[in-house]
Amino acid sequence: MSTDKSSPDNLDNDRRDEPPWLLVTRREVVSRITDKSFLLGTAFMVVLIAGFIGFNAWQEERTETVTLAATPDAAAMATAVADAAPGVDENIEVTIVEVDDRAAAESALREDEVDAWLHPTDDGWQLTSESSEQGSLTDVVEVVVQQQVLADNAAEVGTTVESLQAGSTVTTAFLRGDAEKAGVAEAVGFVFVFLFYFAALVFGMQLASSVIEEKQSRIVEIIAAAIPVRHLLAGKVLGNTALAVIQLMVYLVVGLVGLSFTSYKSYVPALSGPTAWFIGFFLAGFIALACLWAVAGSLASRTEDLQATSTPLTMLMLVMFFGGLSLDGRAQVIASFVPPVSAVVMPKRILAGGVEWWEPLLALGLLAVFAAVTVWIGERLYRRALLQTGGRVSLRQAWSAAE
Amino acid sequence: MLEIRELTRRFGENTAVDHVSFEVPAGLMTGFVGGNGAGKTTTMRMVMGVLGIDEGEVLWQGRPITRLDRRRIGYMPEERGLYPKQPILDQLVYIAQLKGMDRVAARTQVTELLERFGLGERTKDNLEKLSLGNQQRVQIIASVLPRPAALVLDEPFSGLDPRAVDSMVDLLREYTRDGVPVLFSSHQLDLVERLCDRLVVLSQGRRVAAGTVAELRDAGVPRFRLVLGGDAGWVRDLHGLEVLDLEGASALVEVRQDGAEQHLVAEATRRGDVHEFVRVRPALSEIYREATA
Repeated sequence: MSTDKSSPDNLDNDRRDEPPWLLVTRREVVSRITDKSFLLGTAFMVVLIAGFIGFNAWQEERTETVTLAATPDAAAMATAVADAAPGVDENIEVTIVEVDDRAAAESALREDEVDAWLHPTDDGWQLTSESSEQGSLTDVVEVVVQQQVLADNAAEVGTTVESLQAGSTVTTAFLRGDAEKAGVAEAVGFVFVFLFYFAALVFGMQLASSVIEEKQSRIVEIIAAAIPVRHLLAGKVLGNTALAVIQLMVYLVVGLVGLSFTSYKSYVPALSGPTAWFIGFFLAGFIALACLWAVAGSLASRTEDLQATSTPLTMLMLVMFFGGLSLDGRAQVIASFVPPVSAVVMPKRILAGGVEWWEPLLALGLLAVFAAVTVWIGERLYRRALLQTGGRVSLRQAWSAAE
Repeated sequence: MLEIRELTRRFGENTAVDHVSFEVPAGLMTGFVGGNGAGKTTTMRMVMGVLGIDEGEVLWQGRPITRLDRRRIGYMPEERGLYPKQPILDQLVYIAQLKGMDRVAARTQVTELLERFGLGERTKDNLEKLSLGNQQRVQIIASVLPRPAALVLDEPFSGLDPRAVDSMVDLLREYTRDGVPVLFSSHQLDLVERLCDRLVVLSQGRRVAAGTVAELRDAGVPRFRLVLGGDAGWVRDLHGLEVLDLEGASALVEVRQDGAEQHLVAEATRRGDVHEFVRVRPALSEIYREATA
């Protein structure tokens, strides 16, 4: 043909330096990251994470300023409250407004000039506010008034608060970290499990439907005539894995950086190790599941079949999700070595601490072996099911079918 | 030259293709005809290595075909389709790369072909935005990328309007002129008769006829039409002939004994005027119907 300069003979000389699977991988990645809905979805998630952390940080850092009205007979107590407030609750600041009498205090309350009015009653003290209770202020006033009155009463009977309280202190000690640390580990563990579930489902579905797209449009025949089907599968799995890992890392980095702006910043260095482990487990776990998703796609002939062919997989995802969240004790230890559930359970255990150094390595090794077996089985099923277009293909048919 | 030897494929109990052999000679268009389920698509898929072969082999230039050979064979699957939501230039370049071209060369060639088919302005459009006819053109480009050593096209003309058929035919002729063997399947017999140099007829997985159109039309028992000046009723009495049709002065006969037709002519001229004596070759559709009956 006149438009063609290359002769068939030198075709394999100007052969690409890249293997076919790399071409497929690149197409998967490029076609996805130029897809607006994917970019918008990722950006939305980032905004959501940053927003959530930002909101919490703002909630925490916000100092509430309350104005407290006090008649002259309560001035001493009010001053004591204002002085002691930051020590009781670091987010509250109390300013005192002196009023002449009860009537002045009530009108100041009604005019919204003050938030509350502190005054003595016959059997104690009262904090009056207009209609809604001043939660943080009430806590502070309760503590301070109790201390003050206790000190006064003690002085009256000739003793001190210290001697009254001697020997009554209860201190706490933790054998396995403290509660706040455990709470952080629990929360981050939930985030790990959720991110894994979310990514495996979203990218898995995407992978399966792109397999169906190729199968349904028969472009797969053109591709299969040009390159080994093995390369097609490898390219698709690697492409989607790369995308999933990149997206995951973006979320994790945004999360960790965000956390470092909050009062939890002291935990960030301690979280980095478990997070790195999590990425490793995610990688191995996702490759295994991605192969299975590709098989689910290849068993279907039309998009409508995917629901049916992917049911076992969505079940597995749910087992991983709830298993990851709810297992504890011995069951958790066992599950942390059983692939693919180990992909979410072991990172959780690492977070909680108390894991021997060899445990994550063993779990990751087992997961990698599992991934290798899935890739092998998945390749066989995918290769055989891919070109069968007469309706849904059962697993048994795909396994035993001739190529 | 592409040679198909004793190709066989079974699906369970059903033998879809049963020891089928034929050749696709260089520079010729070979038409592949047969009804639905005759085994055309299965045969083509085996030739392209998309489907496994149970028995037999495919030879390219006299030796067993390899994957590298197949990559240079342009292939158009039956229910064609590319990526609907991808720009046409991008996906054609991708296919060309899978077939072994480097990126830059692929881009140049795809752009040239798109321009040639009048799609030069639409390279960035997604496939689904194109009209059906234009989508078909993109599909054709996908199968001739890169310069093919042979073409295997499954129903390339189905769904094309007459003008698109003509431009497709022109393109295919360019390739056969350069010595490229072309195999295409179709059930539009008139089209096959017009285009094909050679023909392979498949029925229920078996090859029932093969050869050039002329060979096939000559292959059957010879038939002659005789038109006389007077009544032709006497023809019935001659030996070695079977009268298929007789109407006044006109008779259609089939030769059952070699030389019987010479006898017929001699007798006819002896009896009077002979207005017409001509060999009747059956239409391709007739041969096809008989072969696949």
